[in-house]
Amino acid sequence: MLKLVDLRVSYGSDQILNGIDLDIERGESVSIIGESGAGKTTLGLSLMRLVEGDIRGQVYLDGEELLSLSDTAMRDIRGRRMSMAFQNANNALNPVHDVLGQVMEPLLAHGLGSKAEAREQAEHFLKRCGLSPEKFRSYPHELSGGEQQRVLIAMALVNRPEMVILDEPVSSLDAASRVEIIELLQEMRRSTTMLIITHDISAAAHLSDRVGTLYAGRIMELGTATRVLSNPRHPYSRALLRSYPNMTTVKDLQGIKGRMIRPIPGCPFHPRCTQAIDICGRETPAMTNVDGRQLACHRGGIISLLETRGLSKSFKTVKAVDSVGIHIEGGETLALVGQSGSGKTTLARLIIGLVDADGGDVYIEGDKLEKRNRDFYRQVQMVAQNPGEALSHRMTVRELVMEPLNIQDIGSKEERRLKVARVLEEVELPASAGFLDTYPHHLSGGELQRVAIARALALDPKLLIADEPTAFLDPSIQAKILKLLMGLQEQRGLSMLFITHDIAMARKVSDRIAVMLDGKIVEEGPADRVIAAPQHPYTQSLIGTASHLHLWSDSDRLHHLHPH
Amino acid sequence: MHISLKREVSRSHSGRFGIGLLALITAMALFAPLLAGYDPLAQSTAAFQPPSMGHLLGTNHVGQDIWSQLVYGARTSLLVGFSVAVIATTLSAILGAASALIGGLFDRITMRVVDAFIIIPVLIIMVLLAAYLRPSLWMLIVMLSLLSWQGGARTVRSQALSIKERMHVSTARCFGAGRWYLIRRHIIPDLSPILVVGFIHSLRRAVFLEAGLAFIGIAGPGSVSWGMMMKKALDFSYMNAWIWMLIPAGVALSLTIVAITFIGHSMEPAMDPRLRKEVEGEAIA
Repeated sequence: MLKLVDLRVSYGSDQILNGIDLDIERGESVSIIGESGAGKTTLGLSLMRLVEGDIRGQVYLDGEELLSLSDTAMRDIRGRRMSMAFQNANNALNPVHDVLGQVMEPLLAHGLGSKAEAREQAEHFLKRCGLSPEKFRSYPHELSGGEQQRVLIAMALVNRPEMVILDEPVSSLDAASRVEIIELLQEMRRSTTMLIITHDISAAAHLSDRVGTLYAGRIMELGTATRVLSNPRHPYSRALLRSYPNMTTVKDLQGIKGRMIRPIPGCPFHPRCTQAIDICGRETPAMTNVDGRQLACHRGGIISLLETRGLSKSFKTVKAVDSVGIHIEGGETLALVGQSGSGKTTLARLIIGLVDADGGDVYIEGDKLEKRNRDFYRQVQMVAQNPGEALSHRMTVRELVMEPLNIQDIGSKEERRLKVARVLEEVELPASAGFLDTYPHHLSGGELQRVAIARALALDPKLLIADEPTAFLDPSIQAKILKLLMGLQEQRGLSMLFITHDIAMARKVSDRIAVMLDGKIVEEGPADRVIAAPQHPYTQSLIGTASHLHLWSDSDRLHHLHPH
Repeated sequence: MHISLKREVSRSHSGRFGIGLLALITAMALFAPLLAGYDPLAQSTAAFQPPSMGHLLGTNHVGQDIWSQLVYGARTSLLVGFSVAVIATTLSAILGAASALIGGLFDRITMRVVDAFIIIPVLIIMVLLAAYLRPSLWMLIVMLSLLSWQGGARTVRSQALSIKERMHVSTARCFGAGRWYLIRRHIIPDLSPILVVGFIHSLRRAVFLEAGLAFIGIAGPGSVSWGMMMKKALDFSYMNAWIWMLIPAGVALSLTIVAITFIGHSMEPAMDPRLRKEVEGEAIA
């Protein structure tokens, strides 16, 4: 139906769109999501040939190339075969005409019927869009944002176009109007082909068959809404989802480090990407088919950082870890939850090599780990439960944080000194001479754990194994350490294996949860799924016994216990 | 804040006392030729002289000056003591730590050797060896060292076994540290309190053993020893003058051992910052 081939738009030297290829089938609904400034609106406007800038490439509507059409021919198509509902933000409606008149305008402009017929059509669509008849003669400023949006949609639909482009149809609306507009659009979906441009991921999830993520004028990932939104494979798509507040995700919000800069060579996202390698800064990745979707990433999407297969360890007759297979992706947190003695810590020690496995293998970035050498320890680091024990009390903070660099023999003395200051800053500790010369027994529990984290960070690892990192801390310090770890994940793209007995905590920090019982993983899945619909009885009991704060009034409580 | 052994020791009364005393004895040993006044082995005057201006502590049965013998005896005593303590402590640290870290056959063999030596009385071996070898002073040091590391090695081994499981060692392993780094930076520092105790113990034991061996006639030829002085004194216990021969050496030996013990006691907190007392002006804000 609509086919975009290498669409490029630039304003002077500013390249806004950088080669968009997109195919929309008849009757399909596609959403393009992305941050502001990604080029979403330009994409919509350029399809309508309404941009001032220079457009290159081809846009086919039913096989007819639009960009090479004459202005007259384009005018004929615009508003009739293809229309656009503009973003309501910048006075898309004309303030000096009433709304009915404005909805009639596309009909009259294309000479489709008489004025009376046009009025009838316009009233029909306004009604369908949910505007009450007494407001038909109102002026835009007399209407609420939701009502204005309805008028804009009615204007786009009134000519019964084959293709509708909706630019941020719900973004400026309150929750109730938003739901009404989404319902309206869902109904329209049956009869119209739609391209929805939005940063509202939930609207995209409700309204589209396919979703594409747009960054700096390029499509990063494109696939069915279910695939892209429930299991994003591009680091940018995942980061977008992580920063989007919603009622499903249980993990705390995380942003995307840095800000969009353009133009830059290579993959546009690489300065903010947490798994960028050399090639990402040199070459633009091509769209490839990965995991049932299209993906533009040199690394084939989010990498699999660590995987264990059949990892086992017995102590005498006790199977502490019984054929465990887990996997952790780049920049992801896997929480390992289970009671004491379930084998969580043994599993962590097996992975890091403090305990030798009886059987099973560990894979790092897909390669089987043969030997734990220094390189391995540059990639995988551990933060222990009790920082008081993990830090030698004979060393000062300076010596402690420098120790990994000394062991690995990284950098000159001066570089090591700078690195120490940098990682201390990252964990929000002072790098003053006085503090550097402090011994651990002068520090508080929270400071100790920060020093321990700084030590692990000094080697710039990709995976941090955190074994109950807050077990020895009081709740307020605990919260700060968790925030710190989340922030580090955002900044560095750290993957984490977060070990805890507290599923309530796991819920706030993890993307996925694996539940361990008697050395086996009994349940594993996305954190929201495991929390909302636990399958295994043990998971259910963990959730049942986790901390809750039911501090509602008695009547609320009764209602909660016995609804209806 | 920097831990200074010196400050740590000088902070405690017993440490100050021990250091002062040992420094005095060491100075005596070092400046023996200046302090002595007489050749300790030469007959200076008549035998069995009581203390006088010419001979501060009198003379012995062959007319040797007792004060001169005393200061030269300090040389022998401390030379043997420190040499044996250094060698034995090093041996016990290396062998004990290696046993714990390597384990297996090496551990079993080392520990059986230790067992064997522990059940055989050192004095008997020394007497037998001395009878056949007629040891020089350095031979004596080597022999004493080889017979002094075993107890320490066993203690070090058991400590090292527990230390290597400590979390800070595990953490260092997780940074990719090799065995040698772990021994040098984590195990030995954590062993230091017991090594210091072991060193002091060896020092005291060696000083005592040297005196004891000399007392039964095993001493480097041509050297002067407190033990030998006491032995000679006892040989003349039927004479009144023997007391002048016995007391100086006996008191010197006792004071040396007391000084060493006091130092050992005061060093322990320095080895473990957690035992340190907070001192004004040093507290970290």
